[in-house]
Amino acid sequence: MSSDLSINGLSVNYGPVEALYDVSFDVPRGQIAALVGSNGAGKSTVLKTICGLVAPSGGEIRVGGEIVTPRPGDALKLGVAMSPEGRRLFPRLSVEENLLMGAYTVSDGAASRDMLSRVFGYFPRLKERRRQMAGSLSGGEQQMAAIGRALMAQPKLLLLDEPSLGIAPIIVAELGKIITEINRDLGMTVLLVEQNANMALSLAETGIVLETGRVTMSGSGRELLASPEIRAAYLGI
Amino acid sequence: MSFLIAQSLINGVILGTLYLMMAIGFTLVFGIMRIVNFAHGEFYMIGAFMALIGVTWLGLPYAATLALTVVFAVLLGALVERVVFRPFRSDELSGMIASLGLAMILQNGALIFFGPDPQAFPAMVSGVLRFGDLIIPKSRALTLGIGVVVLIGFYVLLMHTRFGRGLRALVQDQQVAALYGVRLEIMYPLGLGLGIALAAVAGALMAPLFGVSPFIGAAPLLKAFIVVILGGLGSIPGAALAALLLGLIESFTSSFVSASAADIVTFALVVAVLLIRPSGILGRGEA
Ligand SMILES: Nc1ncnc2c1ncn2[C@@H]1O[C@H](COP(=O)(O)OP(=O)(O)O)[C@@H](O)[C@H]1O
Ligand SMILES: [Mg+2]
Repeated sequence: MSSDLSINGLSVNYGPVEALYDVSFDVPRGQIAALVGSNGAGKSTVLKTICGLVAPSGGEIRVGGEIVTPRPGDALKLGVAMSPEGRRLFPRLSVEENLLMGAYTVSDGAASRDMLSRVFGYFPRLKERRRQMAGSLSGGEQQMAAIGRALMAQPKLLLLDEPSLGIAPIIVAELGKIITEINRDLGMTVLLVEQNANMALSLAETGIVLETGRVTMSGSGRELLASPEIRAAYLGI
Repeated sequence: MSFLIAQSLINGVILGTLYLMMAIGFTLVFGIMRIVNFAHGEFYMIGAFMALIGVTWLGLPYAATLALTVVFAVLLGALVERVVFRPFRSDELSGMIASLGLAMILQNGALIFFGPDPQAFPAMVSGVLRFGDLIIPKSRALTLGIGVVVLIGFYVLLMHTRFGRGLRALVQDQQVAALYGVRLEIMYPLGLGLGIALAAVAGALMAPLFGVSPFIGAAPLLKAFIVVILGGLGSIPGAALAALLLGLIESFTSSFVSASAADIVTFALVVAVLLIRPSGILGRGEA
């Protein structure tokens, strides 16, 4: 099975702080993978490194076989788009303009219009609020817009950093359903980063557990959900 | 009397156009570089001298001169971004001091080159337009017309093109904009160049009405500050309203009272707005 994302011996330091040490895992094409771990484990650092926002001190990342270089914008060319932690919409751009920013480098206008109507199909509330400034949306709506913006880049690999953070449980469930639909309908590979291990592992075929910058467990989502360590550490059961 | 009112009205609107061009360019430079650009008025001055050189020295048509001014100003802005501002990006205090230094260099450079004396600028067109009792000098109508077209063009570029969207996104979140393919190494110099070009075009447009000297940049810079304070930083409708208001107040007070009274009224207004609505007439409190 070919991998869309392949991470090999990745280490990242922020000055003296070692954020990732010898991290390796693969995400097979077309799958949803969940990267779970507590706050500060290094999950966001993994995603930022994949996008070229952070330079690794060791190891390599391949997307579709190509090595990712630490320059923002390059990962986009390899088909990677991220919905960043905290959503980070452009607050004084309208919802629609935020979505169009996702397609900033997409030259095929027809494909962009097609994707825009798909995004509005997944998130009808964004369509209602398309002219509104993104900064005035609720947290759940902002998350929808951030995912929609990433979809607009027509990525092969979709990175989602804590979409459930600070969002009402009912919206989290709705988002989970839509992430599954996106993966199924568009054939996008999804790497889902979550502290909410329950939500992430129940969607994912593959799960990876990160603790203080190291991979401590991996397996199928179902296996991890059932494992006693995970249940004790992340699900509070 | 009615002649004086009509005259004040058109002068006020022309001033408003000028102030709005200055304020929008100033805000754009601030948004992109996070630097309060004290040299902004000097680019107005340079634009006026560019126009003078184009029209009287080189004998070019006014339209060609304006186009050349824009091109030159964008290039100059890109150069200034690279050499002066880039090292201080997001370092607000050092950037501000660098811009003060730049202002001095530009003003004194102009002084060495052109001397201190005001230079007359030939009128672009002569004659008047008559609408019944209303008489408008054609030169003023031309300045106003071009100014409004430039402003509308700039607005469309900023608000309704992919480039403008990228620039506004960059102002709001540089990292995420880069993530989605906005190329910072192009957008910073180009954005700064455009902001500066707006000041230069204002200078070139106003030169036939107000004359040219190395010292003409100070007043428009001050007015840009005032428009930003009155309108609220980052609010284009707020800035438009504030600029028009400022222009009208200034021209009516100087026609019917005196020029110094105009300054008093203007600053009283600034103090009042700061007391009553610190975020500006239509401002949102934060850029
Ligand atoms: N820009 C940064 N500078 C210094 N340390 C950082 C920076 N970003 C993250 N860290 C540190 O790296 C570690 C991993 O952070 P992060 O990847 O954000 O974890 P997570 O997303 O799992 O919460 C933490 O100890 C955090 O404090
Ligand atoms: Mg994180």
